[in-house]
Order: sequence, then C-alpha cells, then structure tokens
Amino acid sequence: MIQNTKCECGHQNPAGTVLCESCGKPLVEDLPLDTPLEMRYDGAARRSQKQNPAVIDRVWNFFSSVKIAIWLIILTLIGSAIGTIYPQESTFINLDEPAKYYKETYGTWGTVYQALGFSRTYESWWFIGLLVMIGTSLVICSLDRVLPLYKALSKQQVRKHMTFLTRQQTVLQMQVEGDAGQWVERFAAQLRRKRYRVWTEGSALLAEKNRFSRWGPYINHIGLIIFLLAVLGRSVPAWHMDQYVGVDEHQVKQVPGTEYYIGNDKFTVEYYKDEELPDNLKGIARAKLYQTQATLYACTQYCGDDPLHDPVLKPVESHAIEVNSPLEYKGLKFYQFNFEQKIRLIEVKPMLIDAVSGQSYGPFDLKMSDPAEQSQAGPYTLTLSDVYPDFGLDAEGAPMTKSRDFNNPAFVFRITGPDLDAKGELYIYFPMPSAADKGVQQQINDSFKRLGSNSGRFNFEVGKMENVTFSQYTSYLNVRVDRAMPYVWIGAAIFMIGVIMGLYWQHRRIWVRIDDGRLTLGAHTNKNTYGIRADAASALAKCGIPVDPKVLDNRRNTR
Amino acid sequence: MNQWLDISSAAFQAAFYLYCASFISYAIAVAGKRWSNREPALHNRRWGRIGFVLAVVGWACHLTFFFTRWKGGGHIPTSNMYEFMTFLAMAIVFAFIVVHSIYRNNLLGAFALPLVVIIVAYAAVFPSEVQPLIPALNSYWLKIHVTTAATGEAFFAVAFAAALVQLLRVIDFSRTDKKGRREQKWVEFVLFFMVVIIGFLVSVFAFRGGGYEASFRQEEVHIDQQGAEQSVTQTVEYGLPPIAAPYNSEQISMQPYLGITKPLFEAPSWMNGVNAGRKLNTVIWSVLSGAILYGLLRLIARRPLAAVIHPHLTDIDPEDLDEISYRAIAIGFPVFTLGALIFAMIWAQIAWSRFWGWDPKEVWALITWLFYSAYLHLRLSRGWQGTRSAWLAVIGFIVVLFTLIGVNLVIAGLHSYAGV
Amino acid sequence: MKRYRKPIQYMILAVVLLVGGYAIGQSFLTPNKALKPGSEAPSFELLGLDGATHSLASYKGKPLVINFWGTFCPPCRNEMPAIQAQYDKWSDAGAQIIGINLSEDRVSVNSFLRSYGISFPVLLDKNKKTEKAYGLKEYPTTFFINADGVIEDIVIGGPMSEETIESRIARLLGKD
Repeated sequence: MIQNTKCECGHQNPAGTVLCESCGKPLVEDLPLDTPLEMRYDGAARRSQKQNPAVIDRVWNFFSSVKIAIWLIILTLIGSAIGTIYPQESTFINLDEPAKYYKETYGTWGTVYQALGFSRTYESWWFIGLLVMIGTSLVICSLDRVLPLYKALSKQQVRKHMTFLTRQQTVLQMQVEGDAGQWVERFAAQLRRKRYRVWTEGSALLAEKNRFSRWGPYINHIGLIIFLLAVLGRSVPAWHMDQYVGVDEHQVKQVPGTEYYIGNDKFTVEYYKDEELPDNLKGIARAKLYQTQATLYACTQYCGDDPLHDPVLKPVESHAIEVNSPLEYKGLKFYQFNFEQKIRLIEVKPMLIDAVSGQSYGPFDLKMSDPAEQSQAGPYTLTLSDVYPDFGLDAEGAPMTKSRDFNNPAFVFRITGPDLDAKGELYIYFPMPSAADKGVQQQINDSFKRLGSNSGRFNFEVGKMENVTFSQYTSYLNVRVDRAMPYVWIGAAIFMIGVIMGLYWQHRRIWVRIDDGRLTLGAHTNKNTYGIRADAASALAKCGIPVDPKVLDNRRNTR
Repeated sequence: MNQWLDISSAAFQAAFYLYCASFISYAIAVAGKRWSNREPALHNRRWGRIGFVLAVVGWACHLTFFFTRWKGGGHIPTSNMYEFMTFLAMAIVFAFIVVHSIYRNNLLGAFALPLVVIIVAYAAVFPSEVQPLIPALNSYWLKIHVTTAATGEAFFAVAFAAALVQLLRVIDFSRTDKKGRREQKWVEFVLFFMVVIIGFLVSVFAFRGGGYEASFRQEEVHIDQQGAEQSVTQTVEYGLPPIAAPYNSEQISMQPYLGITKPLFEAPSWMNGVNAGRKLNTVIWSVLSGAILYGLLRLIARRPLAAVIHPHLTDIDPEDLDEISYRAIAIGFPVFTLGALIFAMIWAQIAWSRFWGWDPKEVWALITWLFYSAYLHLRLSRGWQGTRSAWLAVIGFIVVLFTLIGVNLVIAGLHSYAGV
Repeated sequence: MKRYRKPIQYMILAVVLLVGGYAIGQSFLTPNKALKPGSEAPSFELLGLDGATHSLASYKGKPLVINFWGTFCPPCRNEMPAIQAQYDKWSDAGAQIIGINLSEDRVSVNSFLRSYGISFPVLLDKNKKTEKAYGLKEYPTTFFINADGVIEDIVIGGPMSEETIESRIARLLGKD
C-alpha cells in the first residue's frame, strides 16, 4: 500500500509518519476515532521506515522494532531464570566431570539440565547472543528514534490541527469572552509562572516544559551500551585476570602471570565470644574477622623464567586484607577468599649438641624449603645428605617422604670436623617431632650407629620458641585485574542519569487555539497526566475558568 | 540485651498495632460509605484521614524501632531476614506516604496497609535477636545496597496495591465469555494467594503460641568437591506439626495433633537442600490453612471475594489507579536499579572481587529489573495501559517477592545454596 | 545528512557484527584448557641438576619424552628403572627422555637419583609452575612429544612398563 503522506496543510511527510510533522493532523486513517492519539516520537516516522526496504533495511528494521526489543528482554529473562534452577558449573572450583556430578546430585532432571547446556547458561552462545542482540537493538532503536524526535521537537508548529488537539489525553473546549489574543497572553503569563516556555501566534499558544526528559531513554540506552561493551572488554585477556593463591604465613609467593610477589606476614581469624552472641547462636563459631597482613613485592631483577637466579624483590605495598577491604596496587587487587589452619614449619635455628663434651654449637639456619646444602655449627660442617619433607617409611621400612609438603620434615646431616672420621658421621633430625617420631629419630640414629655411620655423640636442640618460625594458617587470596571496571561504572552512572531524567521529569506540552471565541485546549505528557491536568486547570482557573482537573481527562469523557 | 533493644521491640509492637488500626480505618472508609445517616464523601474523607494519620504515627514508631535497634545492636538492622522484612515494610509505608501525598487516594491505603501488616507479621516469623555480623556483611556498601533496594521494591509494592485495586475495580462480573471468566478467575486467584500467605502466618503463630515442637534426625549424603561422599546427621526442628517428614529421617520427638502421632509421608529425595523437608511441610500447612480460611470466607460471603470487594470500589476512576500504579513503578525503577543492581555490584566487587557472579539472588534481581523494563517499554512504546499494565504490575511484584523470599526458600531448598 | 545514511547503516551493522561475533565466539572458546594429544606442548625453561638451563625449544627437532615425577610418589619411583633402561636404549636413536621433578628440593632429588642410579637429565620445577602449565592432575604423568613439539600421547599414572614406553617412542620415531 502506498500511503499518501502529503498533509492537507501542504506539508510533505516521510513514509511512516503518523501525525503530520507540521500541523499534527492524524495521517493514518485507521486509528480508532475516539481514542487519544498515539503520541510517541511525536508521530514522526522512524528513520528507517521506507517504502521499499532492501535486505539490509530489513535487518535494520528488525532491530529497530521495540516489539523485538521487548521479546529479547523477555527471552533473556526466561533464560536467566532457567539458569537458576540448578547451580551453575561455574560455582564449583573444581568440577572434573560435570555430567556425572549433575546426574548423581540431581538425578534425571539434573542430567537433562546439564546435557542441554543449562548448567553453563550464562556462558552459552545463545545467552550471550541474546545480550548481543539486546545491545544491537539498543543502538539501532535509539538511533532510529532520537533523530526524528529531535527534529520534530525542534521545529514545532504553534497552531496545531483541530483533530490533534481534541484527541489529546487532556482536552478542554469552551467559549471564552473577550479578545482571543489577550486571553492567550494572559494564559501564557500563567504558564510562564509555572516555568513553561511559551510561544504564542495570535490566538494560538504552545507551552512546553522539561523537554530534556525526552532524551532520558536515549541517554540510559547509551549507558547500557557502554556497560555491555565494558563487560565484553573483560574478556580481553590483558584486561582481566582471576587467580587464586594460597600463601602460608611468612611465605612469599609469585602471583601467577605477573612479576609481583605476595607475602603473608600474618593471618588472623577472630570469632565472636559467647557473650557477644544471642542465645540461639551461643557455642557456634561465628567468625568476626579474617585478616591477612600482606606485603606486595615487585620483582626488580631476574624476573621471568631465569632458573639460575632468585628474583630480586622490592616491597611496594602492604595492607591488612579483610573481606571487605582488598589490597590494591596499580589495578592489581588481592581479596581475602579463604583460609586453612595448618601448622607448617618454615625455619628452625637448632643448636648442635656434643653429648661427650657437653658443648653446644650454633645455632645454624635450617630452612624447610630449599635448605642450604651446607651449614656451619662451631667447628663442625653439616652437609645435608637427605631431606624428607613428610617423613614416612615405605613398604620395605626404608625412609621416604609421603608428600612434598613440610608436614613432618626430617633432615639427614653428614657432620664433619675436628676429632671426626674423614667421611663424617650421619645423623637424622626431626625439627618438629611427634612423640612417635622422637622414637623413630632415636631408632634411626641408633641404626646408623650400629652400621658404624656415627658414634652417637651429637644431638640437635632448638631450645627457645623464637628459634622456630612456623605458619599457623594458609591464607587463600583471590588476585584480580579488571581494567574494564571503570567503564562498567561509567556505563552504570550514565544509565542512572538517563533513567532519572526520563522518569522523574515529564515533558509537558499545552496547546491552545481560539477560533471565533471557542477555546480549544489540548495537553500532552507521556507520564503523569495527573500533573499536567493540575497545571492546566490551575492556569485556567487563574484566567477565570475554574475547572475540576478531572474534567480535562479526555479518556473519561470519551469512554 | 540492653535498654535500647527493649525500647526497640516495644516500638515495633506499637507500629504493628497502629498499622492494623490504620488498615481498619481505611476499610471503614471504603466499606462504610453507605452506612446509614452519613454523607459518603465526608465519611470517606474523615476515616481516610484517620487511617493516614495512624499510618504516619505507625511509621514514626517503626522508625523509632529501626534507629533504636541500630543503636542497641551496633549495626544497621538489615542483615537478616527478620530485619530485612521489617525494613521492607517500613519502606512500603514510606512509599505509600509519598504516593499518597501526590494522589491522596484513600483506596490505596485500604490495600497498601494490609500488605504492610502481612509483611510485618511475616518478619515476626523469623528469629528477632540481633546477630553480630559475619565479616562479609561488614561493609557500608551493603547497608546502602539493602536499604536502597528495599525502597525501590517498596514502590513496586505500592504499584501492586494500586494495580490490584484497579483490577478489582474494572473486573466485570456480568461477563460470561471465556475472556471475562478467565479474568475473574485470575483476580480471584491473586486474592486466594494472599489468603494462603495469611494462612501461613495464622498457622505459624497459632502453633508457636501453643508451643508446638517436633524434631527429626536426618541423614544427609552429599558429594563434596573432591567427589567423596560425606554423610552428615543433623537434627531438624519443626514448629508446625509434621505432615511431611524430612527425607531419610527418623522421628526423635513429636507432639501428637488431631490424634496423629506420625508424619503422613516423607519429603521426596530430590528435595535435598537445607531444611527442605521443613519448608515443604510449611508450604503444605500454608496451603491447607489458607484453603480452609478461604473456604470460610466464601461460605460467609457466598460470592467470590473479588465480587465482595468490587462494589465498594465503584466511585473511583480506574484511570487514576492506572496512573498511580504506573507512577509508583516509574519512581521505584531508578531506585531499584541503583540499589538492587548498581550498589549490589559495587558491594560484590569489594567483598567478593567480582561485580557479578550469576548467583541466583543476583540473577533474580536482574530478572525483576528486566521485567520492569519490559513493563516500561510496553507501556511507553506499545501503549499497554489499563488492565494489561495492571496485570504486569501484579506479576512484577510476585517476581519481587520471589526474589526476596522465594530464592532463599525454594532454590535454597532444592540445593544447598544457603544464601547470604 | 540523507546522503550519509546508507554508509552509516552499513558501518554500524559491521561494528555490531564484529563485536557481537567476538562476544559469541568467545563463548565457544572458553572451556577445555586441558592438554590432550594434538595440543602444542607448553614451553618451559628450567634449571637442570647439571646446573644448566634447559628449555623446551632446546629439545625441538627430535622426539621428546617428559616424565613428571617426585620422590614422594611410589609409582614414580617404581617406574624410574624402566625409564632409565629406555633412555639407555633410545638415546643413540635420537629420542630424548627427560624427567621434571615436581618442585622438590635439590638435595632430595640428588640423593634419590644417586640411590637409583639414574642418569637421564632431570630438571627442577619451581613453585609447581611447569606442572601447572601442563595441567597435571595425577603423578606420574608422562608426555610423548614429537619432533614438532606436538603432544602425541599422554600416560597418566604409573608405573609404566618398559613396553608401554618403548611402543610409544617407536611410534614417535616412526618405527612401528
């Protein structure tokens, strides 16, 4: 159907125009005659509406449709809801066989859920596809509407077509006495007092207020686009990092993928005391504080993969990391994630005791990880010949280590020095022996003695506690880099500005024309018709026409 | 614990009774217009004013409760379900006062106040002791997030009340065609749903008042992250007589009721979350007592409840209600976005190192937001007004309720997600 | 303005296609980081017990067997003699065998190798870095890498028999 878009006032309108751009006369004849006019975008044609659309126009029109946008919103809503039926795979830190897990935990429905990919809803191609389509729709819808609307609002006619006025939501028609021009001027003065901008043209008037609120939706859409792009930006590897490091107290560990090292100086966990708790929680360990006193080091030399040198570190930042208070340094953030109570020796400073002379030598340093191969205690040289971080005996009764963690370390030293055999003497030493291990230490040293490897004259002793460094807690920290975050916040802020502009202010317009003493008033706002009726009624009252605001409601009169 | 908390709980009780009184005044204002010897408009205005004043005084007491509890407890009282629900009720009264001062519509009070009363009573179901904060909750962003989100949701609640009145107003009982009947049925269903919630409250408080107790020992098997099976035995306490026992449990003690000494059945195995059996039992009781209550009401009225209310609403314009409902959503939407999404993201970013984690509670906040954006688009760009938009406002608030309560109850009931 | 309408439309659609394509494409990429036959072997640069630096690149051009092992792991210890025997057999034929120790201290490793009479090159991993790069879940794990640096086979767990090793090395050398 080819629509005749030339209005009776002589204005040539583009295809798709609903209300004449110039005088406001309805151009589409099939609108129900008694209903208020459809005023969105002021009846202007959307930018993309054409007589003969090509393929690209069809794609464009698809995304330009609000109907499609609403469908996209609803589909996203349904998709999101489905994703909450069972926990997502991403909520598990280690899930090797998701299919098995869902089957065992949630039965048949769980199996189906997982198989259909709903256990990864929010990373799935279709969900991201929906978000991309929403983004596209935001761009195209806004572009398509904002320009025609801008044009329509910036060249408004003061004198509108009679039908345009009588079919607004707020309408009044009545006789007025006296000079039409004067009456209009008086009415204009009243509206100006209500901070309307008023234009008059003889016996016609246009008053307008808060036009800027019309741009609210477009501004909030821009905010959303920035937000979505920023979220997408997080998938750029250099912009995003998400790692976990477990650091024992007094340990310094490299942050994976960076040249920074994080040290846990001290970890504190505090629980509420019983008197701080209400009755029903007494006796329950309710955490009050988790805190990692952390130091961040930057590597200044031998970083990278250089296996020959230890990296040179320089402390750059320190902070008490708590759950709501991460350590931040140049975009790198460390969050308290978890902790584990596990006692681990880090370093001891034992004395070498000579049982024969009663003399003691040392202390010497013994680090658990990477111990020095040789140490000196008085005149004696101690050469490390074996290390068992987690001492145990294998099937044949030979010493072995059960793991590489320093849960129960044992060290075998070859001692050489004055009065000793040239090949030295062998001794095993448990820095942190349990009662049972004390016996084992004795047994092994005795068996060395029987084999002639030692004379039994030496012993080790730590003595005071300050000679022992140990870690009581392992603190797990979440290391994050999120360079897109500022844009996420900027997008959110712009969105808020747009929404508030659009919803807390309303664009209000009042048109008046007086033809042969008959006043016709039409007023429009897309939100808060109550407010505009009140505005119009109070201005009318001040001009000698007292009306109840409700009388102005056109919907009521036509129903 | 201290005298601040004593003042606080006294103020809370005062607020509750004042809200009840306010509701009764509003009900008289609406229902008593045609009582003999009075001028309807005058009657309406007088009782409406009394109702509004009572609501405002009640709100003042509620505020007193809030701030004294804050002072006495040492932290802002929004950190558990009891505190959150009371705050939500307070926010709804605030939203009601705001909307009422714009539109001065008495009917709104007649429907917003019962909602407030129900939510306050619902809050009282939860333990009311002040609990010290766990580290994750110890952040001022959390306070800002919760209070703003609740305020936004309160406006949605007012929109719901207005939309429900509108539906009751425009519903046409003379229609017998399919569409007309469907509309009658659904409006009645919404009312039934509210009666079920009242049934829930009645049964909880009745049995609590009677000191009812039953307990079970339940063995729960779950697979940990290393894939090892772990079985945990725990005691489940019931405050309502057990119709459904927890899955895989044995009875420790149970007071008999109606001569029944054993639960009628066990909860199905797929309900394997925290306290799933107890929650199922509570739902059964709510529906049962709600149905009985509804049956009684129907028996007295001999008509659908909607038909009882409908005639009292005739002298109000549905367009005004439409406008009120829409305006409340328009006011609430930015507040909700800011509180439930943006502030939530800021807090999550600080506390959990990610601003968004697709956690069920977060997702449902997003769903609520998407729903209301669809509402605004349908209304602004596709001209959905009147009944259709009223239905959306009703459904929207149900989504809000699901986000606030349902996610913790149902989703947490199906799996072990315990919520924050 | 009208004149530019078409190009602007094309430009916007192109940008949308690009950005959207990237976003949706990402969703296909993320899972499955585990190494499997056909993956490129991750590079490393480690200190050997000989005091020299060894990198994956320095082994390119000839088939390579990498055995991840630790003294704390009984099957690792038990398969050492078999690996040593295969090393003796194939080193002249051009196949290389190395062991990467699972971040233990030098003393333990040295004393272990001495007592087992191991002579094939052993490198020391540090802070589990290489182990993580290879995504190890179980010990021992042995990777069979062809001359182009592509993983042909992975044996998880042990101890491996000599035949297990031999047949795979033969395949690497193309001597089935």
